[in-house]
Amino acid sequence: MNLGNFGMDTITLAGPLESKLQASKAAGFSQIMLWAKDLASYPGGLDQAVRVVKESGIRVTGIQVMRDFEGLSGALHEYKLDIAKNMLQLCKAVGAPLLMVCSTTSSHADADINLIAKHLAKLATLAVPLGVKVGFEALSWGRHINQYPQSWEAVALADHANLGVVLDSFHILANNTELDSLDDIPSHKIALVQLSDYMWRDIRSAEERLETARHLRVFPGEGTHSAELSEMLNRLDRAGYRGDFSFEVFNDDYLQLPPEIVARRAYLSAKWVTDQVLRRSLNVRERSAKHQMMA
Amino acid sequence: MINTENNPEPKNPLGIAGIEFIEYATSQPLALGSLLEQMGFMATARHRSREVTLYRQGTMNIIVNADPGSLSPSSKDPQSTIISAIALRVRDADAAYRHAIEMGAWAIQTRAGAMELNIPGVHGVGDSIIYFVDRFQDFSIYDVDFKPIPHAPQSPPAVAGMHFFGVVQTIGAGRLPEWIDFYQQLMDFRALPEGRYFGVLRKGTLLESPCRSFYLQLVEPPEDGAVLKWDEQLVRVGIGAPDVLAAVKELSERGIVFVDREPTKTSTRGALTQLYRGGISFELVISGSSVDDGSVAAAAEAV
Repeated sequence: MNLGNFGMDTITLAGPLESKLQASKAAGFSQIMLWAKDLASYPGGLDQAVRVVKESGIRVTGIQVMRDFEGLSGALHEYKLDIAKNMLQLCKAVGAPLLMVCSTTSSHADADINLIAKHLAKLATLAVPLGVKVGFEALSWGRHINQYPQSWEAVALADHANLGVVLDSFHILANNTELDSLDDIPSHKIALVQLSDYMWRDIRSAEERLETARHLRVFPGEGTHSAELSEMLNRLDRAGYRGDFSFEVFNDDYLQLPPEIVARRAYLSAKWVTDQVLRRSLNVRERSAKHQMMA
Repeated sequence: MINTENNPEPKNPLGIAGIEFIEYATSQPLALGSLLEQMGFMATARHRSREVTLYRQGTMNIIVNADPGSLSPSSKDPQSTIISAIALRVRDADAAYRHAIEMGAWAIQTRAGAMELNIPGVHGVGDSIIYFVDRFQDFSIYDVDFKPIPHAPQSPPAVAGMHFFGVVQTIGAGRLPEWIDFYQQLMDFRALPEGRYFGVLRKGTLLESPCRSFYLQLVEPPEDGAVLKWDEQLVRVGIGAPDVLAAVKELSERGIVFVDREPTKTSTRGALTQLYRGGISFELVISGSSVDDGSVAAAAEAV
């Protein structure tokens, strides 16, 4: 089983940065998704945090998360642009090839899709000289963009090679978004796929959605949406997606357990994911050579 | 960029009209200076307060910046020479700067450049800067910062009609689409169709300036992995000449050595000098004479 395309997310693991890196590496993962705060809050400072990451030999999947970026104007836009630049510099410092941007929740943000696309293109241009790509994700409680077909619409409109969509199974499942539209997204425009599930079929309120998202996710294969996840994975595979999968699992229980135990669960989940795709016919592999990966 | 498919004609929002100067940062100004002189440039002026020299021939201005600190701290090799800036002639420098920033350029934080004049600029590839200059007709930017070198001609003629043709930039593997969009968004450069080249270096992709008077050549690392280190940076200046063989002859007489083996053997299309100390080389490309408003590309022989 090749784990090369899979990585954990530091948000799932307890303990200091070193333990997270070590536990996920020991479980067989060669990459990990970082949060900017992993670096910013490191006791020894940024330079030392970067050294710890680089010396671990683990590839950084990307850095999250840039929030409430698009659709602003005036001083607010300038302010957020400044923050985004700092985030890009952080990406460059730690060698992260991707900056993840979540759709805005701000009431100050404009809903105009053209403006959203323009701002995303601007960020994508800023990121080029730093060697960082920009990935845009529809947060399920985003103000204007909360379904992945909308995030894809903005990315397609921006039409910038340095910009792609980030697909997150939680947000797709939480909003009951149909999966047919996945077929509309060219695989090279998918910057990253984040995977997680949760333990009940229906989310009954906005509050519950947020609570579930932030505290009660589980790894794929552990939750109640395995059929939907399997369909999603197969659609992505059929479309030729060969990029990274990251387990973005916020879970309070896992944060009480030693990271080695949780990383073991992640390993079993990666196996579950590959099993879903391997069930398909064998001609899957023939297509992979022609595919151009985004991340 | 939005709606490029339906808008193939360059708009030239910045009013770009050619290259005003190219700046090298170096810790070996004497060696670089003597190489430039062999290439036909003459030192015409020195900076009033810094170790910076202006070299000219014909329409070409080259600034050699040996000011301590001109080489970025990120430059590992203390002996290195780098192409540290391209200054573009534009209609309105402030407007060009504002447009570039609006489209996603990084403002230069402090003026690390050669000029005391406040020339607006943005970050380009690597440690390089793209400057915008609008005072190139009645008033010269060099009059403010530079003192003429006594008895040196102020407007030495060009050897064999040479003029700036472009700059070669190395890019990371697979990063061509990103860099094409970068230059298109900021300055409306356009990629020429794949496989269209002018000189002897038939690789990479050419981006044409919106004024169609110069080119950026983006080159990815060789696929065989023959090079160990391949940073994204500006690596070579391309010089246009209406008669390449005549230019090669004249420059050879001045001591310049050209690569005389395939695949970059001297031809009527172009020629490549050897790699000089500090990693410097020049490329000659067949091209008509440069005019302020006009297009050398129209005269260039596409092959």
